[in-house]
Amino acid sequence: MNRNYLFLTLIMLVLAVGLLFFHAQNKPKQVPPDKLLWDIIQPTRYVSTDNVAKWIIEKDPSIELIDVRGADEYKAFSLPNAINVPLDSLITTSGSEYFGIPGVRVVLFANDDILSDQAWVLLRRLGFKDNYVMKGGLNRWFETIIKPQKPPESDPKTAFELYEFRKGASLYFTGAKVSTSSKVSKAKVVFKRRKKVTVASGGC
Amino acid sequence: MHVHELNPKKTLVVLLIFVAVIITGFLTMTKPLLTYHKDMKQSLQTLKDKNAFFYPYQLADVINNKNKDVVLIDIRNKFAFSRGHIPGAKSISAFGLTNKENVERLKDYKKNGITVVLYGKNQLQANGPWMLFRETGFNNVRILLGGYDYYLAHKNNLAETKSDNSYIKGIPRYDFAKVAKASVSVSEKEQKSNVRKPLVIRRRKKAVVASGGC
Repeated sequence: MNRNYLFLTLIMLVLAVGLLFFHAQNKPKQVPPDKLLWDIIQPTRYVSTDNVAKWIIEKDPSIELIDVRGADEYKAFSLPNAINVPLDSLITTSGSEYFGIPGVRVVLFANDDILSDQAWVLLRRLGFKDNYVMKGGLNRWFETIIKPQKPPESDPKTAFELYEFRKGASLYFTGAKVSTSSKVSKAKVVFKRRKKVTVASGGC
Repeated sequence: MHVHELNPKKTLVVLLIFVAVIITGFLTMTKPLLTYHKDMKQSLQTLKDKNAFFYPYQLADVINNKNKDVVLIDIRNKFAFSRGHIPGAKSISAFGLTNKENVERLKDYKKNGITVVLYGKNQLQANGPWMLFRETGFNNVRILLGGYDYYLAHKNNLAETKSDNSYIKGIPRYDFAKVAKASVSVSEKEQKSNVRKPLVIRRRKKAVVASGGC
């Protein structure tokens, strides 16, 4: 064998090994910073308390609720069927097994939205997608779903329809726990519409 | 006979050029502008670090130029910035935060020990970019608690906000367990009538149809 070829083959091998080493240092599993910032800027990760209420009431099977507060706060109160993964344990192997499941959309929530947003950023850096943040957290949950505010008279019809939905949802989450409660809220809306008709016909 | 034996010199030259290209590729490979300096655990720790926050009452000294070691960066879009911003703030919309010019500028600030305070409409908007810069090694980047909205509401008495805590996020505003239960006990009577209501409604429906037909 020609000595030159041997020499060149050795150089090739060294370069190949060097390439492997270089890649290992880069930790390709994590999302690079500039891509992460691009994802951070998108507002698509925020879902409203109304969205979450609807998903719970409809028993949407693709939704997973994850409470990122501490265990004590979770035990005191949390959303129905929510799982507790405190922020600190998010990055452990046992904590991260709730994420990245194909077909499952995870909704992160906390008292406000800062903690859940931070959880989202950390999870995104690790490469997990399909996570969402409930905007306003449980504070907003109580202000919109549990104790909804009646909109002022000047608001458009859609605001009143939303208020009706929220009143029904409030009953679902605090009153009746049977599944017929979803029928209650639906029937209630229909009932109110008919009421208006009777008023009109009564006035003729 | 193989080609490399027919023309050994040519083959050698080609192979040498190939190797040279690979080596120069390695040497001139552009390092990414931003790399992570903190691993996941350290990033978590940063979220609790009080030195990573900037409080509204600290703005007073920055605005009246007493504190020259702080630079304010408004990450909202240019339109929002033009409608009103904290005096002295620079506008860098979130999209442009990681372009080369800004990263170089941040590196300069870091070298000169200048604190960079990011703020958005509220703490939530600036949260992501702040985390990112902290994780990529810019320990001089802080986030303004309360964001621009809080500043706007309190800009005439910033010093007094030291005793106010309303801009601190993550605190439950209601006793969740109590309020949820209270609604249950109050509506226990309603609960029975709620369960009955479906029947009532259906009856009403028929009544409506009847009166409409009269």
